[in-house]
Amino acid sequence: MRTPASSRVAVVDDEENIRETVAFALRREGYDVETFSDGQSALEAFKRGLPDVVVLDILLPGMDGLELCRALRQISEQLPIIFLTSRDDEIDRVVGLELGADDYLCKPFSMRELVARIRVLLRRAALLRTSAPSPDEKILRVGDLRLDLDRYQAFWKQTPVALTVTEFMMLRALAQRPGVVKTRQHLMTEGYPDDTYVSERTIDSHMKRLRKKFAAVDSQFDAIETVYGAGYRFVEKRSSTVS
Amino acid sequence: MSEAGAQRSSPGVLKEPACGPDSPIVRGTAGGRWGRVWDWLRRASARISIRLLAFNMLLVFLPAAGLLYLDTFERQLLIEQERSMVQQGRLLAAALSSGAALDQAAATLVLERLDMRLDARIRIVDRDRNVLADSSLLGPSRRGGEEASGEELSARRYWSYRLGALLYRAYVRLFHSRPESPEPADLYVSATRAAGPEVQAALDGRYGATTRISGGGQRSVNLYSAIPIRSGGQVIGAVLVSQSTFRILQSLYEVRIDIFRVFLVSVAAAAMLSLLLSTTIAHPLKRLRSQAGAILDRRGRLTGHFKGSRRSDEIGDLARALEELTRRLEERMRLVEAFAADVSHEFRNPLAAIRTAVEVLQEVEDPGERRRFVAIVEREVARLEHLLADAREVARIDAGLHEEPPQPVALNALLEDIVSGYRLRLGDRCEFEVSAPREPVLVRSSPERLTQALENLLDNGVSFSPPRGKIRVTMAVDRRTTTIAVSDQGPGIPEQHMSRIFERFFTCRPDADRSAGDHTGLGLSIARSIIEAYGGSIRAANNAGGGATFTIELPLSH
Repeated sequence: MRTPASSRVAVVDDEENIRETVAFALRREGYDVETFSDGQSALEAFKRGLPDVVVLDILLPGMDGLELCRALRQISEQLPIIFLTSRDDEIDRVVGLELGADDYLCKPFSMRELVARIRVLLRRAALLRTSAPSPDEKILRVGDLRLDLDRYQAFWKQTPVALTVTEFMMLRALAQRPGVVKTRQHLMTEGYPDDTYVSERTIDSHMKRLRKKFAAVDSQFDAIETVYGAGYRFVEKRSSTVS
Repeated sequence: MSEAGAQRSSPGVLKEPACGPDSPIVRGTAGGRWGRVWDWLRRASARISIRLLAFNMLLVFLPAAGLLYLDTFERQLLIEQERSMVQQGRLLAAALSSGAALDQAAATLVLERLDMRLDARIRIVDRDRNVLADSSLLGPSRRGGEEASGEELSARRYWSYRLGALLYRAYVRLFHSRPESPEPADLYVSATRAAGPEVQAALDGRYGATTRISGGGQRSVNLYSAIPIRSGGQVIGAVLVSQSTFRILQSLYEVRIDIFRVFLVSVAAAAMLSLLLSTTIAHPLKRLRSQAGAILDRRGRLTGHFKGSRRSDEIGDLARALEELTRRLEERMRLVEAFAADVSHEFRNPLAAIRTAVEVLQEVEDPGERRRFVAIVEREVARLEHLLADAREVARIDAGLHEEPPQPVALNALLEDIVSGYRLRLGDRCEFEVSAPREPVLVRSSPERLTQALENLLDNGVSFSPPRGKIRVTMAVDRRTTTIAVSDQGPGIPEQHMSRIFERFFTCRPDADRSAGDHTGLGLSIARSIIEAYGGSIRAANNAGGGATFTIELPLSH
């Protein structure tokens, strides 16, 4: 599971202390780190050469993180982007389907968590580049849902659904034990294994977004059920048309 | 007549005890039927529509009360009539007593002479009660005598009369014992005998008077007065004067019916008026009330607002005032929520830096690196403290600037003091140049708050100032206001940020400055809050020769 040491990570944040600390920690993990304090300079650098993953703060002076993300998507559809947000109301805009964020973390985040996410995104990107399925491919099928556990890809009735890593991990936790209620606490540790500072309300917004993303593919989607006072569960409903 | 008066006054006496349970002392404890009735009345009368109706009705009932006064008027008319009858009788008796004997011829002669001038029926009776002469038999021109019993009151034809009579009878039945009905007038059916007791009284030498009801069931009555005729100390006969009250009563009835009609029309008008007032006052008020009920949900959150009104009356004013109130409340709540979100946002960056730095510290052994991250943690902790203090300051200013009573402050002296403090603290870091009027410039404010606002502006100027840069403070006074301009030689304000620099947490500083943790982005917004709270204004502009100028304008205290 070691990431190639040559992977290049770009950190864009206007907070010098965060930028320096994150860069230091990532360098210790063996990544090649570039730091930028504003969106404009980052974009100019990316035009010369793309990094392997971008860690992007949303609020930046001048061109903000969302604009930069859009500009980057013009250059590359595949480039993994992980957002750092400090406002709850930004999350919805970040994770909105059209923006194509791969994942995000809320400030204050755990450095270990960030490292783990970057690792996942790099592996996913690597697997997506090699389109040939590996022989020991790990696939989870529950009803109409298919999860490619290595590539962090989700399919509903054969249609791919673009999920962030966090969303994927929570959905995997639900789908591994269909019909069993998972508490918010449980989903939290599944989604953020290294971070204990996520509020339970965050889980609800994750579930809301998951449903929204699946509903965009299938308006009849109702496999994620809210169990009031307890948590959420995945309900297996095999449609008659799909084998 | 006086007896009837006594009866009329009795209802008031009778009603008195009924008012007892209504008295406030009994009401509270006794409850019971009267308590409930009282409560119901109080609740009902608390409604504006009911009150309007009651007031309007009160106005209408005033003329109706006039109907009752007419009874007094009627009584007086009847007394007058009786008096004139007695007068006529006396004259006649005097005329007849001069003759030695009372016979039919003499009596008839007297009556014939008088006939044209009398409006009552006059009969002359001898000692044996035989009618010697009767004015009603003398000619066809019979004016003012007893009316034929069959004649109807013309007013009876009107429905309003019948309704009025019905109400009157109900009133009489409720509040009066039945008046003693006078004996019918059948004592005088015979044209030749006068058998009434008043005649007997007159023949006995006294004055006799009786009221008798006319035949035919009318309310009109006949008055009978008998006056003795004396001759030589002897009663030789009597003059019986009788007159129907019909004419008086009829004109009174007409007046009553007119008043009653006016009353009916007024009741209708009052009802209409009350309805109209109720729709123009009570209904819009009710709407405002239902809007007020919908403004907060059960958890106390502001969910709706007053809809306002296009009405031009006072209720429209009230509706608009309430709309404005909720609009400002919403705005205020929005600001408070935005501020809370901003504060949590502003806290997250230093927290993120601290958390990652602490994590790194756990894994790093190199003392040089460790010092670096410990310094980061220290700086960010200082920044958090600064943020906390400023956020508290903002909350305090928002909540209670007005709690500190404003007093006249000599602004020029205050400014000199503040700047001397800066000169002492900063030494060579910046140069300060102050120009202010000599004579005291007074403004009404809290000196501490004003100092805070000025210091925030000076801090801002100093922080953007190049080393040994000059900060120029200029104070000017015109008739009503004073302006203080703080001008620096810094980089100036980027045009695109000009509109936002007074926003809370907005900063456009070089990176290193922000990480140092001294600037929270609240200084200028705090200054603005303070200045605006004292009726002033604050604005920013870039100088032509570089740098920025912040200008405060405050009203002078007179």
